[in-house]
Amino acid sequence: MDYFELYGIPRSAELDVKALEQRFRELSLEVHPDRLVGADAHARRVAAEKTASLNEGVRVLKDPVRRALYLLKLKGVDLESEQAAAKLQMPLEFLEEIMGRREALEGVKVKRDLDRAHAMAAEIRTARDAHLAQAKAALEKDDVPAATQALGRLRYYARFLEEVDAFEEELLS
Amino acid sequence: MAYTDKVIEHFEHSRNVGTLDKDDPNVGTGLVGAPACGDVMRLQLKITDDGTIQDAKFKTFGCGSAIASSSLVTEWVKGKSIEDAVKITNKEIAKELSLPPVKIHCSVLAEDAIKAAIKDFQEKRAKRLGPAAAASETR
Repeated sequence: MDYFELYGIPRSAELDVKALEQRFRELSLEVHPDRLVGADAHARRVAAEKTASLNEGVRVLKDPVRRALYLLKLKGVDLESEQAAAKLQMPLEFLEEIMGRREALEGVKVKRDLDRAHAMAAEIRTARDAHLAQAKAALEKDDVPAATQALGRLRYYARFLEEVDAFEEELLS
Repeated sequence: MAYTDKVIEHFEHSRNVGTLDKDDPNVGTGLVGAPACGDVMRLQLKITDDGTIQDAKFKTFGCGSAIASSSLVTEWVKGKSIEDAVKITNKEIAKELSLPPVKIHCSVLAEDAIKAAIKDFQEKRAKRLGPAAAASETR
């Protein structure tokens, strides 16, 4: 059973997070240990497994990037696995762009220019949001190659943003 | 997870960090990325007309293992012919650095970077000399 089925919601890149969280609370209560007082070992184990799935499911479905990656995985491409990710060839222009931005960020760090770093992060967030939207649209249309290419970029953007966060922490500490 | 001494050594005292002129006809540039972690690695090789690797520089934005893998290969390829350099495998890199299984992709990245840099050099050369001349010269 996949996480969408587990939560009884349609398989889609768009979902109502509030409703998901509500459903999570309801379903979690059904398998709560307090309800299993006096139950046998088997019933307890089943409940514990279901709790673990519910926790992992809500973690994946709540986050738009994880959700999109999970949908792609259900369609046969697991970008979070080493092998599948290694096979994904990103366009050279994209890698050049990322390399250029990482080098520029390195220069900004040397100059301790937090404002510039924030401006660069804002550009990256815009690019990330645009590609996430592209990926969602591609997933809805079942266009796996396009979704793969769009989602393949997201880790690079996330890494860049982590670098900016680390730089900010370093400056403020 | 602890890094091995060799990884730390290459990370702290990286060899051959820098850039070569990518427009130099004797320089091949390999740019590779790892979508699973978002690391990018650039490896540049200066190759003589008879196909010997004279110089190597790298720039890697990534974890310690990715930096160590690229630093190590710049040392390994120098002085090698391009035929020998393309034979370097990620297994050898991973073994030398004792990379754990979760970091094997870093060594794969370094192997891919060597191949991409040599391919870039050969393509540039083919463009300059015509495909037939380039093929005969690097044989």
